[in-house]
Amino acid sequence: MTTFSLLLLFELTLIILSFTERVKRFLTMLMIQGVLLFGIAYLQLQHINALYLAFILLETIIIKGLLVPLFLNQMRKRNNFNRLAHSKVSTFITVMAISAAIVFGFLLSSNIHDDNLQTKFFAASIATIITGIYFMIVHRNIFTHIIGYLIMENGVFLFSLAVGSEMPMLVNTAILLDIFVGVLVLGIFANRVGDTFKNMHVDDLAQLKH
Amino acid sequence: MNGLGFLLSIVSSLLFPGIIAVTKAKLSGRKGPGIFQPLFDAARLFRKGSIYSVTTSIIFQIAPVIYFASIVVALLFMPFGQYKGFLSFEVDFVFFSYLLAVGKFVMIIGAMDTGSGFEGMGANREALYSMLVEPAFFILMGSLALLTNHTSFYSLFVHIHFDSVLSYLIALLAIYLFVQIAMVENSRIPIDDPKTHLELTMIHEVMVLDNSGFDMCLIHLATGLKFALYGGLIANFIFPDTWPLYTQIAVFLMVNLLFVIAVGFLEAFRARNKLEKNPKWILTLSSISMVVFLSVLVIVHKYFLE
Amino acid sequence: MLIVYFLSAFAISGTLLYLRNRALQLFFNVLFLAVQTVLTVYAYCHLNENDSIYFAFDSIGVILSGVLTLLGYATFYHSYLYLERRSDTKRNKSIYYAALILLSASMNGAYFSKHLGTFWICVEATTLCVSALIYHERTPIALEATWKYVFICSVGISIALVGILSISVAVSKEGLTDLDLNSIVAHAQGMNTKWIKIAFILVLTGFSAKMSLFPLYAVCVDANTVAPPPINAFISTALKNVGFLGIFRMYTIIAQTDALPWANNVLMITGIISIAVSAAQLLRVNHFNRMLAFSCTEHMGIVALALSAGGIGYYAAVLHIVLHSFAKAGFFYQIGQVYSIYNSYLIKECGNYIKLNPLGAIVVILAFICVTAIPPSGLFVSEFMTFKSLFAGDHYYIAIAALFLLTVIMFVIGKDLLRLLYYNGDGFTAPQSVKINRLETVSQFIFFGFIIYLGVNPPEFFSDLIRGATAVLP
Repeated sequence: MTTFSLLLLFELTLIILSFTERVKRFLTMLMIQGVLLFGIAYLQLQHINALYLAFILLETIIIKGLLVPLFLNQMRKRNNFNRLAHSKVSTFITVMAISAAIVFGFLLSSNIHDDNLQTKFFAASIATIITGIYFMIVHRNIFTHIIGYLIMENGVFLFSLAVGSEMPMLVNTAILLDIFVGVLVLGIFANRVGDTFKNMHVDDLAQLKH
Repeated sequence: MNGLGFLLSIVSSLLFPGIIAVTKAKLSGRKGPGIFQPLFDAARLFRKGSIYSVTTSIIFQIAPVIYFASIVVALLFMPFGQYKGFLSFEVDFVFFSYLLAVGKFVMIIGAMDTGSGFEGMGANREALYSMLVEPAFFILMGSLALLTNHTSFYSLFVHIHFDSVLSYLIALLAIYLFVQIAMVENSRIPIDDPKTHLELTMIHEVMVLDNSGFDMCLIHLATGLKFALYGGLIANFIFPDTWPLYTQIAVFLMVNLLFVIAVGFLEAFRARNKLEKNPKWILTLSSISMVVFLSVLVIVHKYFLE
Repeated sequence: MLIVYFLSAFAISGTLLYLRNRALQLFFNVLFLAVQTVLTVYAYCHLNENDSIYFAFDSIGVILSGVLTLLGYATFYHSYLYLERRSDTKRNKSIYYAALILLSASMNGAYFSKHLGTFWICVEATTLCVSALIYHERTPIALEATWKYVFICSVGISIALVGILSISVAVSKEGLTDLDLNSIVAHAQGMNTKWIKIAFILVLTGFSAKMSLFPLYAVCVDANTVAPPPINAFISTALKNVGFLGIFRMYTIIAQTDALPWANNVLMITGIISIAVSAAQLLRVNHFNRMLAFSCTEHMGIVALALSAGGIGYYAAVLHIVLHSFAKAGFFYQIGQVYSIYNSYLIKECGNYIKLNPLGAIVVILAFICVTAIPPSGLFVSEFMTFKSLFAGDHYYIAIAALFLLTVIMFVIGKDLLRLLYYNGDGFTAPQSVKINRLETVSQFIFFGFIIYLGVNPPEFFSDLIRGATAVLP
């Protein structure tokens, strides 16, 4: 039940994200998600293994909760980007869509009867992945796209808890490193886009079509 | 003893507007009016007669009375610990909610009746926001009903128990939702600012521009009563019925006081939303109560999530 | 062995990043090529052996690694020429070489991975390395394409990760906890087909961004539009093979289960849509790089069709992917020459190539023959086998539709290339003549020679390798 409470809080962060306009609040929510993920993963540990504990601490709190949001905050300051530009889809529909995603994840996972799947994580991960993809589709700003990507990565993290996959430590570390470097690379290119086009709107990135 | 909740709510409602005003004044470093100032105002208005525009009809004249009466009747449902309210029956929260809706409805058509463009606009917004907040209230009450397996206010609050982390979390969220629903129902910050002076951005205040004297007095008192309604519900939600009666009364008043001070705090520190943001904000309340509902489903094992 | 390879690749790449001396750069690049060659030969000598718990030298890996090595020689050679012609800063040149080596290393890692986790890691690493290469010219349009490529690929690869994790649900019923490919294939029969279907869809969607297949084909096309010609040759061949390998691995798993007919249908639909999309896009294309990129989408569609047809189609799929690599690489090198003559990739600004660069024009004609699979091109053999198995499987409508679309594609490519070769009419002004070193065309002749040789008269070891790669398929 404690795990479920954390998952509940996690889904609440999704709802808050859905109507957030200030970019700072987005980053705060990402930080909170990182911390919540640590709690969720910690409760999953059957036996405390110092190495593994250190790993999930690194993965969730330090990288997801601290380094990435701080990096994005630097990016935000550099590009002077404080409020999300209005997307074509109204926030009202976004709130509805994300609520629908949460309900969908819940209904889907309550209809799956599989001993090898921990459905409570599955429900949250489906909702989170859908939210991430939704952000990437709906928003017209590459900064928000990165945020959507990170939300989706959090969903994938929950999904890996749901399937209880036991990847070797080396593989896990490499996956983490890949994602982290990926975010850095995306951030560097986004900064370049900000410098070159003076803003980060996707509509400016349409020369290739001509 | 069944009317205890009703009486305590009436008493505390008289002080609510004053306490809110004092809290806000203190927080913003002003001296502010006394706690009883709103009551004096009400008394002054009570002594005056009403002035009606020639374009209005009987609807406009009876609207404030029906509005006030609907809230008083709604208060009759207020339970108190192990005591029922004056009225109590199965699924009375639906009746309760629509009683409030009736009051709101007559106010809206009363505002329309004046033929003023401003009042029509305010009525329009009031109707929209009430409509949007309704699912939040019903889903929340439905979750609580599901959690306890009871459907009247009285038995619902008597049978509610908190034993796990998840249920505490649900309780916290429910209180949060009650407070926010109260803010929306009363058209307070962040939905609307009662202090605003521009008719274009008003919601509730613009609806009652033409009311005066006795009618205005009723409307002022109704605001306090409405806060008392939600304050009472929250108080019932919190304390168990096994405590001694005097403690319960003290706790009830204390919770009400805290609730009102919390409202004052919220109003002092929060900015008012842009009008276009309001529907989205209210919708999130429904989303949150839906998440609460899902969690309750998990608690009562309607759905198994391993 | 692979750990040595990776360490030396990292060391060489790291050295190159800080090296500004041209001669030393050349030396280290040659050194890397030597290491790469040694790895491929070593892998072939230790065929079907495990290298560690994460890597194994299986047939398909050896084939693709061999292709990578051969392409690597040409790519490094043309990269050298390309960088000599440009006035980039020394720092950018260093980044270019370092990224190219890391890219090759991560692609090799992907080829030889037998653990799905390591495979995923290597694929994501290729995306990150290739970003520096696509963005080499530092223009706004290159930035746009790089951003789109890196972002969409990262998202796609994350989706593929969800798919890979879904496999672990499917196999956990069998008591397996790791994602070792061989043990998954061995236990595949008892797997939960529902989960394996979900995994297949997700992996197909995710890696379609890498393989330039429908639905996420567009980012590869964008990347090809702006990347330097040698990089184009590399990423539209070796890197697409990585995407193909991801889908192929997934297909070998699903082929062991009852879901095989379903998977075949999905692949067939994906393949025919890819061909249709590329035909439609080719009709309005005005840029040589985009033309070739859409042609890649078409060929990948054919590979998907070949896989879905089964039987001899498996052989055809692997053969096609190998031959396509050589054909497309050679073509892209030639487009590099075209660019250095006209200083433009736009079709309408080019013409009369046969006078301006006769040797290049011959290459263009050969490339046309190879890419559109006109005999004696080896691609004709693989496409013929594909359609044979499609007809044998009673997929008449799909086969006829695909043949029709291929005719359209052949017409469009032919029209544009004939314009490049002979157009000398209104609006065309011949550019200042640029001297092209004849040695630059050697790589293309060699590759086209390979295509004909491997297709018409494949050596025994090559056929054995392909048969080994498709042996696990039913």
